Amino acid sequence: MQVVKLFLKEANKIPIEADNINPDNFAGKTEEEIKAILVWYGNGQYPFGDFFNVEVEGRDSVENTKLVFEGDVSRVKRIGQNMSAGEIEINGNVDMHCGFGMKGGKIIINGNADSWLGCEMTDGEIILNGNASYYVGSGYRGEACGMRGGKITINGNARDYLGEHMCGGEILVKGNVGLLPAISNNGGKIVIEGNATMPANEMKSGTVIIKGEVSDLLPSYKEEGTVEVEGVIYRKFVGDVNVGGKGVLLIKRT
Amino acid sequence: MSEILIKNASVCDPVQGINCETMDICIKDGKIVESVSSNAKVIDAEGRLTMAGGFDGHTHSAGKINVGRFINPNDARKNPVPGLSGQVARTEKTRAQVGYNTPNTYAIGYRYAKLGYTTICEAAIPLLAARHTHEEFKEIPILDKMGLSLFGSNWQVMEYIRDKEPEKLAAYVAWGLRASRGYGIKIVNPGGGEAWGWGKNVSGLYDPVPNFDVTPAEILMSLAEVNERLKLPHSVHVHCNNLGKPGNYATTIETMKLFEKIKLSRDRQALHVTHVQFNAYAGTSWRNFETGAPMVADYVNGADHLTFDLGQVIFGPAVTMTADGPVEYANARMLHEKWSNQDVELEDASGVVPLFYSPKSFVNAVQWAIGLELALLVKDPWKVMFTTDSPNGGSFVNYPEAFTYLMSAKRREEVISGFSNMALDRMVLPGIDRELDFYELAIMTRSTQSKMYSRPEKGNLKAGSDADIAIYDIIPGQIDPSTEYVKVKKAFSGAAYTLKDGEIVVKDGEIEATPKGRIYWVNAKVPSPIDSAMQKDIDIKFRKYYTVSKANYMVEDVYLQKPVEIATEGVF
Repeated sequence: MQVVKLFLKEANKIPIEADNINPDNFAGKTEEEIKAILVWYGNGQYPFGDFFNVEVEGRDSVENTKLVFEGDVSRVKRIGQNMSAGEIEINGNVDMHCGFGMKGGKIIINGNADSWLGCEMTDGEIILNGNASYYVGSGYRGEACGMRGGKITINGNARDYLGEHMCGGEILVKGNVGLLPAISNNGGKIVIEGNATMPANEMKSGTVIIKGEVSDLLPSYKEEGTVEVEGVIYRKFVGDVNVGGKGVLLIKRT
Repeated sequence: MSEILIKNASVCDPVQGINCETMDICIKDGKIVESVSSNAKVIDAEGRLTMAGGFDGHTHSAGKINVGRFINPNDARKNPVPGLSGQVARTEKTRAQVGYNTPNTYAIGYRYAKLGYTTICEAAIPLLAARHTHEEFKEIPILDKMGLSLFGSNWQVMEYIRDKEPEKLAAYVAWGLRASRGYGIKIVNPGGGEAWGWGKNVSGLYDPVPNFDVTPAEILMSLAEVNERLKLPHSVHVHCNNLGKPGNYATTIETMKLFEKIKLSRDRQALHVTHVQFNAYAGTSWRNFETGAPMVADYVNGADHLTFDLGQVIFGPAVTMTADGPVEYANARMLHEKWSNQDVELEDASGVVPLFYSPKSFVNAVQWAIGLELALLVKDPWKVMFTTDSPNGGSFVNYPEAFTYLMSAKRREEVISGFSNMALDRMVLPGIDRELDFYELAIMTRSTQSKMYSRPEKGNLKAGSDADIAIYDIIPGQIDPSTEYVKVKKAFSGAAYTLKDGEIVVKDGEIEATPKGRIYWVNAKVPSPIDSAMQKDIDIKFRKYYTVSKANYMVEDVYLQKPVEIATEGVF
């Protein structure tokens, strides 16, 4: 097992683009090698060691490498981008695009995450013990497919456009979500234990389960009786008929 | 006074009939000359293939491409052709680059130059939006540029045709070219743009345009006559009716036939038909869709009044963009894709739809084959201009890949081996063994353009011509393109040298300098009484219908970078 502990030296205002800060790039490297990795900061590239103190314990393969960010990294973007294995633990808030395009491994965030958490991830797991912002598990602007696999668990609330253009995988939100969750979905499963507004707009396929209250249910869904899932009775809706969709929207019967 | 001597160049210059002969090229002050002094800077070409700078006569590189950019922000990060696509950070010599099908303006200039291209012609300028096109031209470095102005669904044009006022029509076209600083007449789905304003289309050459009582055939013939009357340097440039519909090859041949009777006022073709791949479809529906290329090629082989370009398909993502509004609506509905649609007031329509050409789709496979069939079945390469109708059939950065299809039957077989039997039944490409040589390739990529656009200083290496030169890392005679297509592709993907006006702009596939290019535009003189009479008519249009005034409509000189005015004298 290789554990790399990272301490931000000084809170930064300009974001650090940490798109190569992941277990794939850290495994088997020494403290000096890790410090020398270049990251974008503003319009220039600087060694990672300029911003972080690095402590390395052990030396191991990617699967057995764990990165631990101690403290707030709310201006460090793209942590864990494209990671394929290993683990990242963030003990604080994290900036946008955390876990973008993740292919495997695990990210645990003990804080809040900014927008675009887990976008376009294809596998692996993200556990967020805080609140998420906009566009969790969605696609890059203009892309037809967002999250394609893996699982995101949010133990707090999420804001608007959760799982936009999602094509696979699973998102579980324990709290409430904002406007238009599951917009333009084409696969995958979203479970919202709290409340949601205007869910599943233009959904082509996929499943959305809402256990709380739904505001402004769209008129473009056909109601097809009820179904029982794990002992709970849901009203079943199919749509979005505007796009000839066959998605299933289940809303807990009250 | 700057002088350059290119020694030991293996020159392929079809305009002079030179086929890969080793010789020296002398350059003085940006022009090719007979000799230079001993002070000249020497470039040793070491026997490598040397051609005039490439000339893309039909590309969507300024104007509508911007709509493609904003409906496809994800294109910015696409990188299927490393080195010629994707995100590239700025360097001391170049600005930041993004994109693939719809790259930023700087990337367009750099990437064409890397391919050894030095001149491009924007395929469609709506008169009303011409200022925007020129704003983008200004930011495309290195290349010389020109653009074709749209007249095929214009109210004033159709009214003059209906009212049988050929002189005023000519005056209007001359004014339109001046207003948009255009180089020639582009006609897209004649009449179809106006019909689309009513949610309709025209179905063929003799289907009248709603409310104007003129037919597409009349629009084509009248504009062709104007083209000759004004002695424009290029012929009318036609995107035929029924584009993208099975069975449309008949309309295409019918359109070509119409032009047999045009009397030429200059030494060039009477008609250029563009992206014929999209207009050479047989069958009656997408179920029995098949190639119509043999029929079109047959007709072209027997005709000597026209030229055409391919619109070759490249597998992968593409972005269709055209003034043919109804076609884009049909595309968007059929493919469940994003759709942008525009109404250009009194002038035309337009649309943009992204799509993906897959070799697994039998329709896409046949489309891919049709472009190559056209190029290979038409015997005379001087009738053929190589294009992908970038980015409609695919981005121009794939030209080197497409050259390997034209030069190697083995490479074609490799691609064809992935097609379904159904696709193979609908094409004739597997039976064609013709392979182009460098001479024929040079004709299709630079020499025919020189003649087609009446630009004798372009597309050749004669003394007096612009010193736009590409040297590729290939030694003719020591390479067999039919088997060594990987080397061919690599060489054409990054020129050893590209010179623009005698300045080295690319060396070993990397940008060396980014000078500004010229803008060519045509100023056709019209007698002032005819012009005044025409102005009265358009004044009414501006007063009653346009959202802009006439004074604000004209593209001013300040928008033109290094303008070159091509003056012609109309016959009235």
